[in-house]
Amino acid sequence: MVRLLILSVAMPLAFAARMAAATDAPNRYQLNAGVDLSYVATSGYDSWTQGFVGKLLYDGNTDGVKISQAFIDASFQLTDTLKAHAVIDAYDDDLGAIAGFTQAYVEWRPVPRSKNRYRLKVGAFYPHLSLENVSPGWDSPYTINYSAINTWVAEELRTVGAELSVSRRPEMFGGTQTFSLQGAVFVGNDPTGSLLAWKGWSAHNRQTRFGDKLPLPPLPVLEPGELLDEQNPYVQPFREIDGRAGYYVGGEWQLNQQLLIRAMHYDNRADPTAFEDGQYAWNTKFNHVAAQIALPGEWSLLFQWMTGSTVMGQVVDGAHIVDTEFDSKYLMLTRTFDRHRVSLRNDKFEMTQNDDTEDDNNPENGYVWTLAYFYDWSDKLSFGAESMVIKTHRCGWEYYDIDETRREKQLQLSVRLRFGR
Amino acid sequence: MATRIIGLLLSLSIATLAFGHDVDVVVVDKGGHPVADVAVYALRLNGKNESPAPTAVATMDQVDRQFVPHLLIVQTGTPVEFPNSDTVAHHVYSFSHPNKFMLPMYKGKQYPPVIFQHSGVVSLGCNIHDHMLGYILVVDSADFTMTDENGHAILSLNNPAEYAVKIWSPRIRDKEKFLTRSLASTTRQDAEVVFSLAKRLNPTHDQQAGGASWSDY
Repeated sequence: MVRLLILSVAMPLAFAARMAAATDAPNRYQLNAGVDLSYVATSGYDSWTQGFVGKLLYDGNTDGVKISQAFIDASFQLTDTLKAHAVIDAYDDDLGAIAGFTQAYVEWRPVPRSKNRYRLKVGAFYPHLSLENVSPGWDSPYTINYSAINTWVAEELRTVGAELSVSRRPEMFGGTQTFSLQGAVFVGNDPTGSLLAWKGWSAHNRQTRFGDKLPLPPLPVLEPGELLDEQNPYVQPFREIDGRAGYYVGGEWQLNQQLLIRAMHYDNRADPTAFEDGQYAWNTKFNHVAAQIALPGEWSLLFQWMTGSTVMGQVVDGAHIVDTEFDSKYLMLTRTFDRHRVSLRNDKFEMTQNDDTEDDNNPENGYVWTLAYFYDWSDKLSFGAESMVIKTHRCGWEYYDIDETRREKQLQLSVRLRFGR
Repeated sequence: MATRIIGLLLSLSIATLAFGHDVDVVVVDKGGHPVADVAVYALRLNGKNESPAPTAVATMDQVDRQFVPHLLIVQTGTPVEFPNSDTVAHHVYSFSHPNKFMLPMYKGKQYPPVIFQHSGVVSLGCNIHDHMLGYILVVDSADFTMTDENGHAILSLNNPAEYAVKIWSPRIRDKEKFLTRSLASTTRQDAEVVFSLAKRLNPTHDQQAGGASWSDY
């Protein structure tokens, strides 16, 4: 099913490549590319990307100068109302191939015949959730590394399916208000929740590509001979395990460029007892609300709150084998002045546990403070500096004889190149 | 030289005759503040459009993913061109009956002007950029203008008493009947018409506010 969907996207993309030779092609394609060169200095545990528990993307072993982000974001109008869109991200790490697709979909945008606008997306794409990730390549204009919520979205959430959105044209309300509703049905995303439960919340900007294998921490419960030893030491969050479709429904209201409110209910409807190829299905559900408010001057306030649960395995003594509830929220203040942008974000995150499964202690709580500054030298070149502190208390860290409370820090200096047409 | 001056004076007085008298239209909001960019036009009370047919081409540009101007007023039958001054393609359309039209996927000046044959409000959109919104007000009259930043507009009418003055803006929420003023009882040649709006105005469209981005990429 997933392959079929990817094929359904790949074929229009191939068609798009052929069409690119057509005479009006320059009007029809849009290409954005970005490369970030960063100097990173961290203090914290070895990174989860190295198969340990550190919440950052980097650790003392990988500090230094690196290409911290590279993407190509391309779209092509197949017809006047049909657009193919693909995003390729490249990472120099051990989690997958050097380059892969983070999104690939076709969007049908029929010309409105009334005050209702319909948009249909088919393929692989992010659910309409983040307020931060609004730049090409699903990148953030505010900070280098994303909030805990959107970091998890980047790690484990992707819609492989169809999303229909209906919005009212704004002249209904004197051009001041826009309403929209979205609903989606998707396959895949069954192991989603594995990384969140077992590793916990993080803060970084790595977006999982199709085909990536995200390492899990060396939890005792996953070791040979233990309860969940059939689980691979990695998770492939976009896989379909149980053949059941998931859904989400959401809505948005925007008042001019003053206020935006967004809400979503998500349920992957996974069968928590299903298992295939070393991957368990996790039933992951959440509610999400977000608000963006323009303040006097060039200030804006962004807020996102996600609260939900992820469960896996049979029910034993009233709880699934892994039965966790998660919650995170952030508040970000951002301001532009001329070519400068400053953003300050505070994340709070929490995970609680309803099960008593031994050797699988997953509760945690903590916060992240992120202070970021960007200077736009030109349209193509900008400089960024970001300081981040993540404080976590996680009892499960006792398994590794490390402090259960840890403050991890990261300083990142970036040169960002952006090309677009 | 003297003949020229006499000729000039003569043509000026003819012009005065032809353009008639100034009607000063003022639009103020609930708080008495002037309202700019309001379309102001005069319709004949007898319902006939005796204006000469329009010949000049009007322009609704697209700059920085916005329609410029946000509101354009034209006479019925006016050709309007929609040049795209952005580097990205636009797909301009309107579903406003009976002035529906569509200009798919273009940059620069790719299409001939669109001729609006019916009076009414034509609301414009771009099918690529959903936040883009613009208006063309098509009126059965050549006597139209827009209020300036002081909320003032001058209409030059031959015989003001034969007209009604109307105003329109997407920001105005007052009922249409309060936006029409007959000049039939005008005794003075030059008239002043003040529209004091009772309802609060809608904010201006796409007023950039705050330091955050308001549209998904």
